[in-house]
Amino acid sequence: MVLDNLGSSLRGTLSKLQGKSRLDEDDVSEVVKEIQRSLLQADVDVSLVMDLSDAIETRALEEEPPAGTSARDHVLKIVYEELVDLIGESTEIPLEPQTILLAGLQGSGKTTSAAKMAWWFSKKGLRPAVIQTDTFRPGAYDQAEQMADRAEVSFYGDPDADDPVQIARDGLEATADADVHIVDTAGRHALEDDLIDEIEEIDSVVDPDRSLLVLDAAIGQGAKDQARQFDDSIGIDGVVITKLDGTAKGGGALTAVNETESSIAFLGTGETVQDIERFEPNGFISRLLGM
Amino acid sequence: VLEEEDLEDPLWNLEMALLESDVEMGVAEAILDDLRSNLIGETKSQMASTGDLVADALRDALLDVISVGQFDFEERIAEAEKPVTIVFTGVNGVGKTTTIAKMARYLEDRGYSSVLANGDTYRAGANEQIREHAEALGKRLIAHEQGGDPAAVIYDGVEYAEANDVDVVLGDTAGRLHTSSDLMAQLEKIDRVVDPDLTIFVDEAVAGQDAVERAKQFDDAAEIDGAVLTKADADSQGGAAISVAYVTGKPVLFLGTGQGYDDLDRFDPEELVADLVG
Ligand SMILES: Nc1nc2c(ncn2[C@@H]2O[C@H](COP(=O)(O)OP(=O)(O)OP(=O)(O)O)[C@@H](O)[C@H]2O)c(=O)[nH]1
Ligand SMILES: Nc1nc2c(ncn2[C@@H]2O[C@H](COP(=O)(O)OP(=O)(O)OP(=O)(O)O)[C@@H](O)[C@H]2O)c(=O)[nH]1
Ligand SMILES: [K+]
Ligand SMILES: [Mg+2]
Ligand SMILES: [Mg+2]
Repeated sequence: MVLDNLGSSLRGTLSKLQGKSRLDEDDVSEVVKEIQRSLLQADVDVSLVMDLSDAIETRALEEEPPAGTSARDHVLKIVYEELVDLIGESTEIPLEPQTILLAGLQGSGKTTSAAKMAWWFSKKGLRPAVIQTDTFRPGAYDQAEQMADRAEVSFYGDPDADDPVQIARDGLEATADADVHIVDTAGRHALEDDLIDEIEEIDSVVDPDRSLLVLDAAIGQGAKDQARQFDDSIGIDGVVITKLDGTAKGGGALTAVNETESSIAFLGTGETVQDIERFEPNGFISRLLGM
Repeated sequence: VLEEEDLEDPLWNLEMALLESDVEMGVAEAILDDLRSNLIGETKSQMASTGDLVADALRDALLDVISVGQFDFEERIAEAEKPVTIVFTGVNGVGKTTTIAKMARYLEDRGYSSVLANGDTYRAGANEQIREHAEALGKRLIAHEQGGDPAAVIYDGVEYAEANDVDVVLGDTAGRLHTSSDLMAQLEKIDRVVDPDLTIFVDEAVAGQDAVERAKQFDDAAEIDGAVLTKADADSQGGAAISVAYVTGKPVLFLGTGQGYDDLDRFDPEELVADLVG
């Protein structure tokens, strides 16, 4: 099962339980400590880790293992269930006409993900268009245009305009014959009040079917406040985790999902437009626990 | 006298506090292990609580880590033979290119001329991005076509600086993850061919536990002289600075504090520790 690929210390702790049919308090607290370590090393929010591990500890002590289940497998099942409960299934992305708004911190991977998602939709037989509203970052227009070109999808942007809200409005009109509109935005963080106001305006003009928060897999404990602010401003329906081709575990996404009561939509695993996958809970849970 | 048991709770609380500040777990544990062995057997004065003693000791330990190798960047530039070549490295999207633009402004403010060389011959829009910065700052940009050899571009930058009496060459590199062995080999090649005077590793202050891994790998591929942590304005706790300094033994030199050209601040170790420990 998915949890076979556990981090070595967690696996070591669990193998000590092999053969036991009942766990005493010490056994459970040792396992719970190792799970805490794995999740903390994966950048999951500290208080969320404590809540999760409390829940696991309580259940492991209170619930009787079903007949024939070893204590070890019983704990594993509880860990898995608690994580699945939090992470949930992949964000639902219906294969139908829709508008998607991307938001997130500077450099998190929005522009690249916009082109990747467009590529993904086009492989599913839909006609996507990328709309670039970033008027701030130098070269943003060219970057998005070149990426859309690589994805072989339609593109709208205006290198001479300076109002992102107007570009969004014009872009939706100009690409009216596309099925799926993916609206890219400039990078911003929770403390930039004017930029937060700006994305609220873009949101009200675009009226997206889905707003996705694009998060770097390496983001630390700040994920919580960032996710909170973006959810308050535009409502987050799903998370895109980028740069999973590195060694970061992406626990910030778990925090964000918890904070926004949403789910994970896509994973980014490289710099080319093909490097995109739909989220799949099992693999992600293994990664969080340190495979 | 402090016994091991007296320390257990305060040290656990500190470990959680460090993790909440994004200090990497291994680094936090190493720092706390040192603390533990230094503190056991210490005599408590009547006034101080164990918690205060531990917090003071932590402040000192963190300051030790974060002050490692600090040098006066401005003085280094002033004393170096010109042109001084600085190459910026780091993972994708952390702010290398923007930091180079800020550095050009920083140098100009101190009377040094600079030329930008775009060693990012890979990413879409990379040339346009750095060109726009160069134009806004009134700096010369050396760039090749997309797909060109990054080492060759930066080398051209050095030759341009030599021929035109430019003080500093600011060499950009494409973002790359340390898991890509091809791209890390390319970075080694850039380092070998260009042989820069300074290699600056750029990471972001919002990074979490992974900061240690990438700092180590980048330092291995092209030895770094110091680091810049960007996006410090995003209200990060700054523990990444501790992680990077601890694993590389190299100083954090600057913080990026915004997207403007003047948003580059000298890093102050004492300030960071005060933020972390209060
Ligand atoms: N290795 C890797 N790199 C990625 C991935 N996604 C994006 N990148 C890279 O990360 C960097 C930043 O990506 P962008 O798409 O420009 O990020 P952004 O969020 O649009 O940035 P701003 O518009 O400046 O806020 C670029 O170098 C991308 O090539 C990924 O999944 N893996
Ligand atoms: N808030 C804030 N944003 C920053 C800071 N430094 C850079 N940025 C932003 O971060 C994003 C990425 O910056 P770049 O300079 O393109 O990063 P890079 O490392 O060169 O990216 P790649 O070349 O794609 O690897 C841009 O939107 C920058 O404006 C900073 O100190 N604070
Ligand atoms: K939500
Ligand atoms: Mg962008
Ligand atoms: Mg760059």
